[in-house]
Amino acid sequence: MRILTLLMVMTLSIPVIAAPLEYNLSAEKVALNTWFIEGKTEDFSFENGGNIVNTAFIVTNEGVVVLDTGVSRRYGEALHSLIRSITDKPIKLVVNTHQHPDHFLGNQAFDRAVIASLEHTRDQIRQNGDAFAENMYRLVGDWMRGTEVVVPEKVIEPGMMEMGGHRLEWIELTGHSGSDLVLYDHTTGVLFPFDMVFYQRALTTPHTPGLNQWRSEIQQLRQIPFRIMLPGHGPKVTDHRALDQMSDYLSWLDETLKSSAEAGMSMTEVMALPIPSRFGSVALRQAEFERSVVHLYPEYEVAVFDH
Amino acid sequence: MMTGISRMLTGLFALFAFSYAHAAQPADPLESVMWDYTREIFIGDADYRFDTSIKVEVPSFAEDPTQVPITIDARSLKGRIERIVVWADLNPIQHIFNYYPGDRASPKVSLRIKVQQSTAIRAAVRTLNGEWHIGYAQLEAAGGGCTTPSMGNADPYWQSHLGEVKARRFATDDMQGTRFKFRVIHPMDTGLVDAIPEFYLQQVELKGPDGEAVVRMELSPPVSENPVISFDLDDEREGYRLWMRDNGGNEFSRVL
Repeated sequence: MRILTLLMVMTLSIPVIAAPLEYNLSAEKVALNTWFIEGKTEDFSFENGGNIVNTAFIVTNEGVVVLDTGVSRRYGEALHSLIRSITDKPIKLVVNTHQHPDHFLGNQAFDRAVIASLEHTRDQIRQNGDAFAENMYRLVGDWMRGTEVVVPEKVIEPGMMEMGGHRLEWIELTGHSGSDLVLYDHTTGVLFPFDMVFYQRALTTPHTPGLNQWRSEIQQLRQIPFRIMLPGHGPKVTDHRALDQMSDYLSWLDETLKSSAEAGMSMTEVMALPIPSRFGSVALRQAEFERSVVHLYPEYEVAVFDH
Repeated sequence: MMTGISRMLTGLFALFAFSYAHAAQPADPLESVMWDYTREIFIGDADYRFDTSIKVEVPSFAEDPTQVPITIDARSLKGRIERIVVWADLNPIQHIFNYYPGDRASPKVSLRIKVQQSTAIRAAVRTLNGEWHIGYAQLEAAGGGCTTPSMGNADPYWQSHLGEVKARRFATDDMQGTRFKFRVIHPMDTGLVDAIPEFYLQQVELKGPDGEAVVRMELSPPVSENPVISFDLDDEREGYRLWMRDNGGNEFSRVL
């Protein structure tokens, strides 16, 4: 009986003994009023709790603009307290930049009345949000505890927005996920391309409308005279390096899939092709290339069938 | 004391005898709990060897468990193959396909499959003299591929395009022969989704210009919806024809 009790006590204490799951977020001030929280250039895992995404916030005179809320309720709460450790100003606007789970599943930590996205993104989150959340539970486990989908209540219209001394330009693109927000802060010269730009971390393609579309929108971003760019994944840059890497990789991927389809290759044969050494510094290049073959190759295959 | 030693000896002897009895049949390199069971189903009591020259190519992760690309390449045993049986140990429907190469076939075949969870994929190659060579690979997956409704189920497109084939002839990767690659519209329903009965292509034949079967396949429902299949041949002749039949008795045929 005593042994049984002991066993029961041990079993019950396991969750208490286990190390607490904490993201330990820290924010870097990258420009006037502008704070950047850089995630790891890894895939989702039990170890990183899904902290693989960059988030940011701008402390304007009127209040705080939060740019993405992270992968889980726990991340959202950590982000909220990080903001509170830096400013007492009210949180005026919380933006979900596109439909992917690492950008909106932290919404519960914020007042839902100020959460906004593009209209199409809102539809996508409404439609796919639960499936994304379930998948995240599988990928990162207990870090997700208590996380539920909160659909943005407000809609962001593309165009200029004046807020607390910042001139914010919202731009609607589609290349990464079918509905992708980009923000250019004219006051500070900071460009937030969000997941339209991955740098030193291979881009993901599950919902791209097409590599050519994405590539042409990268050309569009080159026209913006930014001083600093904060990619959705990967480190900040002050020049066109991240855009060059994006254009280069998108072109290589498109040409590789096209020529493979012309040669009649099967998917596994395409996956085994070498990735050029110039992408050697890009994290997860092999895994993401294989994923992209699954996402995109069927269309390239069908295009070359002759009857 | 004596009793203890004799017991130990008996135990050791028993262990030895046990391992000896099992030495006759090689142990599964993938240590799948289902190996003995699935082996019994597909190759019975026959002797076999694991053979890494039979290539079973799978991605490092099944990004879409309803469309997992695999390639079986048994060209190392070319000219001696009676059939290849391919299955997934941990699928609710384990069997995926049988492949029968004729004289002019080069035994390499690629297609996409459904998997329900991470599983061993097996390609058991039976040679003409009755030996079994087992190729294998471990496939990592999140799962659910066999119990997800087909895309076609939500979209009536397939109803008016059932059996429609798109195809093209290519050179093989070694430039020595011909590859036929085709896509056929078919829902390939597994019967494991509530209220959707199984409906799938069962037979595929690639017939040469003289009407002979150069490659024959028997498919099971884990072959993916709208199958994309490629066959390699050691043959330059024109006049090939693709013939298929599903479990509803529908036949489809077209010149390639």
